Amino acid sequence: MSVTYDVVITGGGMSGMMAAITLADAGRSVAVVSKGDPVCCLSTGCIDVIADGNSPLESICSLPDNHPYHLAGIDVINSSLEMFKSVMSAEGGAYAGDARANRRILTPLGRHKTTCLVPGAMEFADFHPDEYIHIISFEGMKDFYPNYITSNYKNSGFSIFDAGVSTTMGIARRFENRQFLEGFISWLKGLDIPEGRIAMPAVLGMRFAEDVCNEISAELDRKVFEIPTLPPSLPGLRLFGGLKNALLKRGGHLYWGKEICSVEKSGSQIEAVTLAGAGRSTRVQGNVFMLATGSFVSGGLHASMDAVRETVFDLPVYLPGKRESWFNNDFFAPGHPIEKSGICVDKSFRPVDSRIENLFVCGSILAFSEVMKYGCGHGMAIATGVAAANVCGELV
Amino acid sequence: MANCPVSRVNPDFPGPKQAGPDAERFRSDDETSIDKWIRLCNQCKRCEVACPYGVNPAQIILKEQVRYGGKHFRPLASRVFANTYWLGALGSLIAPVVNILTPRAFVKRVLNVFGISTSIPFPQYRFHSMNRSWRWKGPRKSRKKVVFFYGCFLNYNRPDLGRDIRDFLASLGVRVIMPKQVCCGLPALGNGDIDTARKFASKNARILAGYIDRGYDVLYSCTSCGLSLTQDYPGILDVPYGRKVSENSYNLHEYILNLMEEHYIDPVLEPFHRRVAYHIPCHLRALGIGYPAARLFEKIPGLDVHILEDNCCGLSGSYGFKTSNEDTAVKLGITAARAVKAVDPDMLASDCGACRMQLEYFSGVPAFDPSEILMKSLKNSKAAK
Repeated sequence: MSVTYDVVITGGGMSGMMAAITLADAGRSVAVVSKGDPVCCLSTGCIDVIADGNSPLESICSLPDNHPYHLAGIDVINSSLEMFKSVMSAEGGAYAGDARANRRILTPLGRHKTTCLVPGAMEFADFHPDEYIHIISFEGMKDFYPNYITSNYKNSGFSIFDAGVSTTMGIARRFENRQFLEGFISWLKGLDIPEGRIAMPAVLGMRFAEDVCNEISAELDRKVFEIPTLPPSLPGLRLFGGLKNALLKRGGHLYWGKEICSVEKSGSQIEAVTLAGAGRSTRVQGNVFMLATGSFVSGGLHASMDAVRETVFDLPVYLPGKRESWFNNDFFAPGHPIEKSGICVDKSFRPVDSRIENLFVCGSILAFSEVMKYGCGHGMAIATGVAAANVCGELV
Repeated sequence: MANCPVSRVNPDFPGPKQAGPDAERFRSDDETSIDKWIRLCNQCKRCEVACPYGVNPAQIILKEQVRYGGKHFRPLASRVFANTYWLGALGSLIAPVVNILTPRAFVKRVLNVFGISTSIPFPQYRFHSMNRSWRWKGPRKSRKKVVFFYGCFLNYNRPDLGRDIRDFLASLGVRVIMPKQVCCGLPALGNGDIDTARKFASKNARILAGYIDRGYDVLYSCTSCGLSLTQDYPGILDVPYGRKVSENSYNLHEYILNLMEEHYIDPVLEPFHRRVAYHIPCHLRALGIGYPAARLFEKIPGLDVHILEDNCCGLSGSYGFKTSNEDTAVKLGITAARAVKAVDPDMLASDCGACRMQLEYFSGVPAFDPSEILMKSLKNSKAAK
């Protein structure tokens, strides 16, 4: 195909989608190329900005100088998170919270996890340690065991509902059925839960969990919230679905499910990427390209015994010293050195030590992001995605 | 699992991960296939589009469906639908009779006995099918030459649309020919009959390859035929010339878009003020060519297009016409139709004939092929030099 997009974004995860939405809002024609559904589909759907401390915005200031958050700057971080909230709210998946304060959610293990922005259905997941929590689970549901929660959080109890199906997706779909929901609510009323909040695994509908949550809450006059589950994770899927629909509404184009097999360059410019199909390959041509393929899990970086490669444009990858120096006796010690690896960029999100001029990089593939150590996954992806899109939007 | 429409509504189907790669570990060629639920997969390929690691669960399942079909008694409905082509030929030949009979209650009851669902009306057959039409159209000498692979649906059920597309392409200065051709083979494959599928495919591939050698491109309008031509011919069916056909086949809208981008044509598009719900067929997603019709729509002034790509319509060709899948198909159809109605559209667009049938029935919104909308807007195209 010979149509030329203003910007072609490789990677359809948090940073790629947010960059695409930003550019589409600025009137640019964008295409997102992704070899499949992104890692955020497997996530809790919550936006971790920085897990340390009470105020993420303050904590960011004390991050090392080379952390990618500093490239975006506090103002853009703040405004990008606000923009994210308004985008999701327009898609019927409003988020609660703001970047000035961290909050907690309940995990399926009965522990608390610190995060910042949460889906509407998890708004009440941050509760006082004295409060009684009643957990509702479903007959035969895999990977969600209320006993885990009750053993770790003592002030709780649980009941089991028979939904007729046992898969996460199956139950979620049932919740979109009026009769099922009404039946569930009347069963719940019959339980006569004396006090406290009601917690359920995240199965309250495929898309609009908050509405279902509010309805149950209103009927029972109790605060109700969802607990994220192991994949398939509905909050993650709802998040991705919301961003994808927001992009489609803005006229963005998707090329999904096929891997990039070659990159066409002319001098210092990338001209097109080619997608491997079963038959003819599809060419996607652009003026500017953005790399948002993520780190190792999503395949943006690939480690072999002797090297770490960036898989699309073969950019030089920063590595923290030699492999031999990475060993640590403590397996779970936070901050494995490999987390520092990634693509080094200049102030305008362009890769350093590369001849390519029309390429911008954002998201967790950026060097020094250390997503696990700082607990900054989605937040950093949003901030750098929007910031990089702002810079590259001025160019085209 | 997260993307499988069937497993959401039918708990008997364990989902692509378990039915595909997980169960595959325990399968061996020497042992009989025992997974009865394998037939419940409707081959929408959503799992393959979603998987970022290049695993193709639907292909693994398809292989097992074929193995299962070979070893077990195949219900009559499966046998009938494997031969949609002959069914269509028959239906077309005695079109008036069939069209009068199928809506009748007693006929429906008979069909149900044979495992054929009547939850949505049978498509109407047309006597004057595509293969009874003029075999070529357009300038004799042209840089752009295509073989139109119209597929069974246009051939027997919507030959009027097929002929419109042919004439439309000709008016754009494209030489269109429609040689003798048979079913792409997908229905046979989906119903577990790989031998029939291969027979159809070999025949088509031989014919199409002959034209490709003479500088023609292959053009398909049906996205499922397209997927079969590009993916199955060189893949599971592995027919001679399969690779050649695969590499030279174009989606109709992709081809028209290319003509515009190359400035082979510079059409003047008239405003067309309508609100359109564009339902993306699963197999268009699976083709991995993006959504070319959506890009054509963008060029039409006044057209307000809403892209819906999260739902499978549930009919999946002949899948939903089997009583065993009726419940799944209806549930998915209602969900997909709800998404359409939420847009409050004037019309519904979809590249796939089956999607259009299903969604038109469940949503009550008139359904069109994207090319029909384009033709309405395109009045004044300059022909090629």
